[in-house]
Amino acid sequence: MELERFSYDNKIVRQFGIAAIFWGVVGMLVGLIVATQLFVPALNLNLQYTTFGRIRPIHTNAVIFAFVGNAIFMGVYHSLQRLCKTRMYSDMLSKIHFWGWQLIIVAAAITLAMGFTTSKEYAELEWPIDIAITLVWVAFGINMFGTILKRREKHLYVAIWFYIATWVTVAILHIVNSIEIPVTFLKSYSVYAGVQDALVQWWYGHNAVAFFLTTPYLGLMYYYLPKAANRPIYSYKLSIVHFWALIFIYIWAGPHHLLYSALPDWAQSLGTVFSIMLIAPSWGGMINGLLTLRGAWDKVRQDPILKFMVVAVTAYGMATFEGPMLSLKNVNAIAHFTDWIIAHVHIGALGWNGFLTFGVLYWLIPKLYKTELFSKKLANIHFWLGTLGIVFYASAMYWSGITQSLMWKQFTPLGTLQYPNFLETTLQIIPMYMIRAAGGGLYFIGVLLMVYNLYKTAKQGSFEENEAAEAPALVKVKDRFVKGKRHRWLEGKPIQFLIVSMVVVLIGGLVEFLPTFLVKSNIPTIASVKPYTPLELQGRDIYIREGCVSCHSQLIRPFRSETERYGEYSKAGEYVYDHPFLWGSKRTGPDLHREGGKYPNMWHYLHMEDPRSMSPGSIMPAFPWLLTQNLDTTTTAAKIKAMRTLGVPYPLGYEYTANEDLAKQAGTITADLIKSGVPAESNKEIIALIAYLQRLGTDIKVNQQAK
Amino acid sequence: MTNKNNPASAGQKNKTMPRVFSSLAASFLLSSFSLTNAQTAEEGIPGSYIKIMLIAGIFLTFLAFSFLFYYGMGEEKPEPKIHPFAFLKRFREHLVGAVPIEKENEILLEDDYDGIKELNNKVPPWFNYLFYATIIFGIFYMLNYYVFKTGKLQYQEYKEEVQAADIQKAKLMKSGAFINENTVTRLVDAASLNAGKNIFKTNCVPCHGPDGGGVVGPNLTDDYWIHGGGIKNIFTTIKYGVPAKGMISWQTQLNPKQIQEVASYVMSLHGTHPANPKPPQGEKYTEQ
Repeated sequence: MELERFSYDNKIVRQFGIAAIFWGVVGMLVGLIVATQLFVPALNLNLQYTTFGRIRPIHTNAVIFAFVGNAIFMGVYHSLQRLCKTRMYSDMLSKIHFWGWQLIIVAAAITLAMGFTTSKEYAELEWPIDIAITLVWVAFGINMFGTILKRREKHLYVAIWFYIATWVTVAILHIVNSIEIPVTFLKSYSVYAGVQDALVQWWYGHNAVAFFLTTPYLGLMYYYLPKAANRPIYSYKLSIVHFWALIFIYIWAGPHHLLYSALPDWAQSLGTVFSIMLIAPSWGGMINGLLTLRGAWDKVRQDPILKFMVVAVTAYGMATFEGPMLSLKNVNAIAHFTDWIIAHVHIGALGWNGFLTFGVLYWLIPKLYKTELFSKKLANIHFWLGTLGIVFYASAMYWSGITQSLMWKQFTPLGTLQYPNFLETTLQIIPMYMIRAAGGGLYFIGVLLMVYNLYKTAKQGSFEENEAAEAPALVKVKDRFVKGKRHRWLEGKPIQFLIVSMVVVLIGGLVEFLPTFLVKSNIPTIASVKPYTPLELQGRDIYIREGCVSCHSQLIRPFRSETERYGEYSKAGEYVYDHPFLWGSKRTGPDLHREGGKYPNMWHYLHMEDPRSMSPGSIMPAFPWLLTQNLDTTTTAAKIKAMRTLGVPYPLGYEYTANEDLAKQAGTITADLIKSGVPAESNKEIIALIAYLQRLGTDIKVNQQAK
Repeated sequence: MTNKNNPASAGQKNKTMPRVFSSLAASFLLSSFSLTNAQTAEEGIPGSYIKIMLIAGIFLTFLAFSFLFYYGMGEEKPEPKIHPFAFLKRFREHLVGAVPIEKENEILLEDDYDGIKELNNKVPPWFNYLFYATIIFGIFYMLNYYVFKTGKLQYQEYKEEVQAADIQKAKLMKSGAFINENTVTRLVDAASLNAGKNIFKTNCVPCHGPDGGGVVGPNLTDDYWIHGGGIKNIFTTIKYGVPAKGMISWQTQLNPKQIQEVASYVMSLHGTHPANPKPPQGEKYTEQ
């Protein structure tokens, strides 16, 4: 058979690789800073741009989309060309993809620091960036499918199945969750409200973990692990079973982020059940990876690359067992809102994504530069620093999560809360925060060693942008669609493969969404719940801008320990005007859903200026700029109009008089503040925020008084 | 788990893996928390208990992963011909279902993806069993809540939790758990004094006499008090006792409500004239 000559594009692989390393260092450094801010609040340098609520999303976005994202693209662009025995479909699209993605990351970092955020976790970026992401993702898709279609290999290898499922699902997730109505150039409101927004968000959030942090990385594992170990994949049948089971079941599990919430119970139960059923399909990937190493374990002992990969796969197995356990109601009741969840996600991020990336980089960079790794010893040191870092990080967070949760729930023998002051439970776990930061520091030092090691490796090697290759042309042979060979047939049909996997991932989402959106009784309305006043709406947007939701939930679960502490548990009907929802996922500070009326206006004013003046020892950052910055009221009309479009019953034409109401309410609050001896001005942002905080959760109290 | 027969074999090396990863596995907690639940925590199960469960969980996890590594990854080792637990070995082989490495060429698939080959091992049976088990769990979970309705949904759980707390609180109120030496008040209603009288009869008569005139202990009817008069002082004296002077502590035998009743009864004896009163002891006490 005649061999065709072509070349692999290594330049794009190197570019994505460098970007992954660069953003990895940035993202982890920001992580280290946010972790330290939890015990040294002053580390924000008293700047709004570097305060916890704003840079925490920078950390998560940088690690997920910049570090892991670029690493995915590095791996896909490298392995896909080789698995398809062809060059990428279009160098131009590769370029657009690379630079587009980097621009998006830079735009994300800048806008998040400036406070432009939708507040939806891992989907914080505002609408223009959302559109850019969609376009770049489409460019990536065309490039990937173009490559697959012109392949010289009849069948698609299992890694490519995962790449295809990743591409189609991330596209669906991103588009559905990002449907929002623009208000200004960098401000939008989610079209979904309250419970529905929560459901869509956590369908997205959960599956972002599934299809951005898991499936593409399983694809990478299926290519780089057998390459590094020089062993055949253990079981082709297992690949098939766990691939389809994984992508089908994963989609359903989103509601496990909303257990004991105001989400209808049937949806919660589906979340639990499908999470449990997810154990085996997830483990399928781990088993196939680890069993591939059968007969190569002596190599694992010596080779840092394999060590990284084995720990990565093991961490994946642990996290995917822990996840379903956390979806059990009784475990979730303890773990939710605590540091336990932080530990869980970091086993995944540091262990699975981080270590697999490091393993791939240590294998790939010397290959690209046609040389050996500069120092195996340094890589080994990196491995141990990283492992130690994970252990410190995780055990500190498990301990602090469980300790704090039990303190929240502890009653005295006489039936009152043992620790009625939330702050007491926070102060208890500060030492754990320190250990966590130390663990993160070790991990980070390891990464710096890797950067040095890889730099030296590149220096000593020679890089070839276009690597010559040859392969026979694809001979058209028809697979027969017969029993026992149906999957083989599908592996030769990329478009059919795409369609089938799309249908498979759509089912779970549709079953959970449609009833929630169509059946009215799923969200019982409460007559006394009214739309926010213009000032409260503006205050809510400041709450969103400052990232308050990072640390404060607005969801009181139906537990006696929570209703005693915070008040009546949260009802679905209370959130009908909340675009977006602000339930939060972590309580570094107390829940705020019934904050309204708990403290006088003055308390909030002074507390925002310096939290420690009102709560000695508090770890909340100060927000002094809210006292000096003027509230931008030019947006009020646009906001009212946008909300009305979304179904919030503001009367027609209200946008023209809204600012009069706003000024009136601001005047009342300011007068009260001045009476209390605080030099407040009615046009400052703090007034709007106080108005919002004082409104929180009070509608239902009106109802009770009327009775 | 050590292979004494063949210490230098590949199997020995395998065992380094569980050790390498035990540190990671140690940060992983699972089984412990399927053993505890929210309700027990709400009722105030001590944190130390949960932490012990946690450590047990870590240990179990470590064992589970070691097992996985040992049996999943292990290469075929020569086994003694007559194995006392041969059935275990067969069971393990059935669960793993792998073709031995020496014979793997027989199941090597012909496709070659950039040098990567695939074996056609069957899906490990234990994987299938696990998968089926979770599906069965899922079915029963849904049946439990929505068909048999034997499981309690969150608002029902909450209602019962609050009810239980209310009952507990009512019980505590009855036993006077909220009464202490700082909050105690004198009771004057007949029912309480009667209850106090009964307590006095059973417990106090040997030392203070049937009419409170004093025997070993002092006269309780006059104006003189060794440890202070008035409801708060008397309550304190009964509750904690004054062991040095022969008055024992009653707080383990009488609940606060009972102490309040008997103290009130004692005060009601003031000014009565017992048959054989003991002479006054202590200081004259006047109510502030």
